[in-house]
Amino acid sequence: MSTEPASKRLVVEANAISLRFETADGPVDALSDVSLQVAEGEFVSFIGPSGCGKTTMLRVIADLQQPTSGSLSVNGMTAENARLARSYGYVFQAPALFPWRTIEKNLKLPLEIMGFSDSEQRKFPWQLSGGMQQRVSIARALSFDPAMLLMDEPFGALDEIVRDHLNEQLLQLWKSTEKTVLFVTHSIPEAVFLSTKIVVMSPRPGRIIDVIDCNFPADRSLEIRETPEFLKIAQRVRNGLRAGHSYDE
Amino acid sequence: MTSSSLTLPARRAPSLFRHAIVERYVPVATMVLALIAIWYVAAVAMNWTLVHDAFEREETPYTISDVLAGTMDAERPLLPAPHQVINAFVDGVFGYPPLAPRSLIYHSLVTLSATVLGFLLGALFGISLALLIVHSRVLERSLLPWIICSQMVPVLALAPIFIVVLGAIGLQGLLPKSIISAYLCFFPIAIGMVKGFTSPDPLQIELMRTWSATPRQVLWKLRWPSAVPYLFASLKVAITISLVGAIVAELPTGGEAGIGARLLSGSYYGQTIQLWAALVAAAVLASALIAIVGLVERGVNSRMGAH
Repeated sequence: MSTEPASKRLVVEANAISLRFETADGPVDALSDVSLQVAEGEFVSFIGPSGCGKTTMLRVIADLQQPTSGSLSVNGMTAENARLARSYGYVFQAPALFPWRTIEKNLKLPLEIMGFSDSEQRKFPWQLSGGMQQRVSIARALSFDPAMLLMDEPFGALDEIVRDHLNEQLLQLWKSTEKTVLFVTHSIPEAVFLSTKIVVMSPRPGRIIDVIDCNFPADRSLEIRETPEFLKIAQRVRNGLRAGHSYDE
Repeated sequence: MTSSSLTLPARRAPSLFRHAIVERYVPVATMVLALIAIWYVAAVAMNWTLVHDAFEREETPYTISDVLAGTMDAERPLLPAPHQVINAFVDGVFGYPPLAPRSLIYHSLVTLSATVLGFLLGALFGISLALLIVHSRVLERSLLPWIICSQMVPVLALAPIFIVVLGAIGLQGLLPKSIISAYLCFFPIAIGMVKGFTSPDPLQIELMRTWSATPRQVLWKLRWPSAVPYLFASLKVAITISLVGAIVAELPTGGEAGIGARLLSGSYYGQTIQLWAALVAAAVLASALIAIVGLVERGVNSRMGAH
């Protein structure tokens, strides 16, 4: 199914990334020998149970955490330089809006930080619903036109209906901006619906079990979730998750 | 206790009592009236011997009601009755031109200027300390113990030392008082602002990091706005403390002017009524200052989207 165009530039190139936390209970391998390549314009989902390192992987790419070993290049440079060059916008699980700023000013904040002196709504975050808040948070991440969008379970706190709606909108956004999206999720349908590539991960130590390509037509709608192709990929994701799950106490 | 007493009694209150204003002010008014009543009773009890002995010395016939009346308008009572204090206060405020040496307005202004200057100095110092502490682990470890120690020394012991030392290098009047006031009021501000500057969510700090914001930008766009609620909480504490500091600082200066000077001369010469009137002036001043900080807080909050 996947015909990966070799001409496309690699945006993320991770080789044998490992990250070990020293905790009071001894060392924890959050990531163990993880290798991953993401080409420009791809939509990559990371799926796996809690503690499998999918968020850690995203944070390592964002230079919010440093790997203990392995090599990593983001947008053709080190992760730190990519951060300093503002190559990505990061959307956290919580909207993390600044409550003392209006919506307009929240959107303008990264631009202000980056020294743009000039850039609808004069509302404050508490006046918006959860879905609207997360939309503002995504808009804020996009407001300075970064090459990449890193999203850590952005819709995790939303209800199913709002989540479906935002999935469709994110797909639209990805299609029209052609940005590379790295997306952490807990939801199999969400991952299969949105992605061109699904990275299935497993915990203890955090590692990649399976990488599934999935190329549905660009103008897909939520209805494809009922098709056999969709269910087949979902099945493969589920099998991967089950295989990687070590039912330890 | 019957079982019926467990059920809520039917509301028989007239509609007047449900009125918001009444509901708000009736408890306050009741409390004030009760306190005044207690005060009157205490005034009679405490002044009784004094007045009684005075009548005895005069060797003229007197009745119990004479003594009772005497406890209400003694010239130098142990405890002046509320109306005496209020009369003295009103007289002190309105009875003289505002800048006359006997006017309470004059003395309040003297204390107020030291309070405000001390408050501003203290706020500036406290916030600067908090900034240093937040940005450096080393400074946190080295400064914090000294800050806490500074508040363990009673200011009543320190004030004369300050006044004498500063007087020796030619500083007199407003500034030494303000420095004592600042010395007291920087503490809650420093502690509050350390808490405030470290209050941002880790997520928000990481967000700033993903935009590779400079430390200065993190300070002005994240830490400072996050600290505003803590700032006002500390300012409210600090403003009253700085008033106390200014009053205490006026005591060892020999009492030329200011509420502290009025308190001192009042106690020297047994002018209890003057003493109490000065106390009322201090209380009014403190309430006004807190109200002003509260108003500023409301203005700032509404601009920052508080709800």
